[in-house]
Amino acid sequence: MKSYFGIFKMEFKGELQYRAKALAGIATQLFWGLLQVYLYTAFLNSGSVDGFSISQMASYIWLGQAFFALRYVTMPKRVGQEITNGNVCYKFVRPIGIYNQWYAEGIAQKLAATLLRFAPIIIIGFLLPKSIALSLPVSVGAFFLFLLALILGLFMSHSLSMFAVYLTFKTLSEKGSLGIVSSIVNILGGLFIPLPILPQALQEVLRYLPFSYITDLPFRIYIGNVGIIDGLIYIGIGLAWLVAIIAIGKLLIGRALKKTVVQGG
Amino acid sequence: MLKNFFCRKYKTIEALKDVSFSIEEGEIVGYIGPNGAGKSTTIKIMSGILTPTSGTCVIDGLVPWQNRKTFVKNIGVVFGQRSQLWWDVPVMDSFELLKDIYKIPTDQFKETLELLNKALNIEDLLGRPLRQLSLGQKMKCELAGSLLHRPKILFLDEPTIGLDAVTKLAVRDFIKFINKEWSTTIILTTHDMNDIEALTNKIILIGKGRILYQGSFENIKDKYSAEKTIEVEFAKDYQKVSLAGYKVVEHNQRFATLKTLPKTQFHTTDFVNQISKKYEVVDFQVSSLSVDEILAKLYNEYEL
Repeated sequence: MKSYFGIFKMEFKGELQYRAKALAGIATQLFWGLLQVYLYTAFLNSGSVDGFSISQMASYIWLGQAFFALRYVTMPKRVGQEITNGNVCYKFVRPIGIYNQWYAEGIAQKLAATLLRFAPIIIIGFLLPKSIALSLPVSVGAFFLFLLALILGLFMSHSLSMFAVYLTFKTLSEKGSLGIVSSIVNILGGLFIPLPILPQALQEVLRYLPFSYITDLPFRIYIGNVGIIDGLIYIGIGLAWLVAIIAIGKLLIGRALKKTVVQGG
Repeated sequence: MLKNFFCRKYKTIEALKDVSFSIEEGEIVGYIGPNGAGKSTTIKIMSGILTPTSGTCVIDGLVPWQNRKTFVKNIGVVFGQRSQLWWDVPVMDSFELLKDIYKIPTDQFKETLELLNKALNIEDLLGRPLRQLSLGQKMKCELAGSLLHRPKILFLDEPTIGLDAVTKLAVRDFIKFINKEWSTTIILTTHDMNDIEALTNKIILIGKGRILYQGSFENIKDKYSAEKTIEVEFAKDYQKVSLAGYKVVEHNQRFATLKTLPKTQFHTTDFVNQISKKYEVVDFQVSSLSVDEILAKLYNEYEL
């Protein structure tokens, strides 16, 4: 466990070095957030969606922008290179699990990237004019449950990202693999279109798929769209999904590793 | 071209075949062969990276690919063309992480690091990010990194590739030093024959996935060093030059290059007597095959 924590520390430190990247990210998120808030204000004004008021929608959008780094599908840095250029062989000669090494790396990078970016957007979100601002969470209990669900979301997001690592093993194309996994996760997880505005029937299905547990669930808890009791139940389902997804990911990558041929000198 | 898109043809190639050898504890073994012979493949099997289709490999009582995690605790690996240290952080941070990964006790870690610092002279490099180091500096740090946990066996895949003369010598001295200090078993592949000459007790020659020779390098050298090349300068132009027991490789007016025929035992006095009877000689120079030439000959002989 100590060794994985060592990897975590190393990657966390590495990610914190890239301040300019974080600043650029914040600027993009602000611009994108404003665009989306106005777009969906127009959308909601022309009709109505049950349990999703304009102010709830604004909060949902701003949270989404603040925690963009957490929800966005990324592979641990360098993994793609490691697989295509063969440096992955150094992962084999360490006395610890290979999947776990990448897992620790990826979680560290995601967490560091999120922590570097979220605060300014949250603060600006609160300071915006009332009609498009981020509101406070519905209750103190909801806030803590939101944090809990967000931690689950971090692990869920990364565990799903690990499938891109598996596909890279199969295809040797980092971009393509990332493309496949991120389009599925981003659409079904609500990154492009907030899930609460989708048709009710579709929402019912998505609620039980793993993708909505990344950030849709925590955001809904925050804005009061999902109550405390329901929230706890969903977190339970999410945990079950998480265990299953990690197990499947580990199995697949383990199998791919057995067949790995590291080419060249 | 289009046909290939619809219907792929596959060909199975045996990268290694009948490769079988044993290595004693504390030996330094040179693993040589032309490009693509299967050297790296063997190293990868021995270090648990590759799982062979068939065959066995037991190192220190363990099968590398079956007990990977236990096995790799006792080995160190350096691939000359890859890096195991982290790119954007100071070298020392990488070492600290390796300390965590291998669960090295703090006292032992300090002691080892001090020893490595002294032997490799890398104290000043540890505070700098890896990306700022030169190739030679990097290689020294890579070597240190692979030895922090004091492995019993060290695999070096082309450790001197691209290094300048000074660094090469330093790396060689260091390899010898480690072998003596910890009686580490060292297996290295290289294309630099001077590495082989300076370091190894034993060589394994591999080509097209098969073992062609194993044993001491001296044997091979003796076998081939009997062949001499003699460059002769004559006092005047001769139309034709010939000498019993020698082959004339080149003749250009006053200069000629001779080679000993396989059965000729070269002896300087005899040679001088023999040639001065026929020609008037100003100067001559005798040379044996260089180590590289010996190897090229060897590869040639085995049709590699």
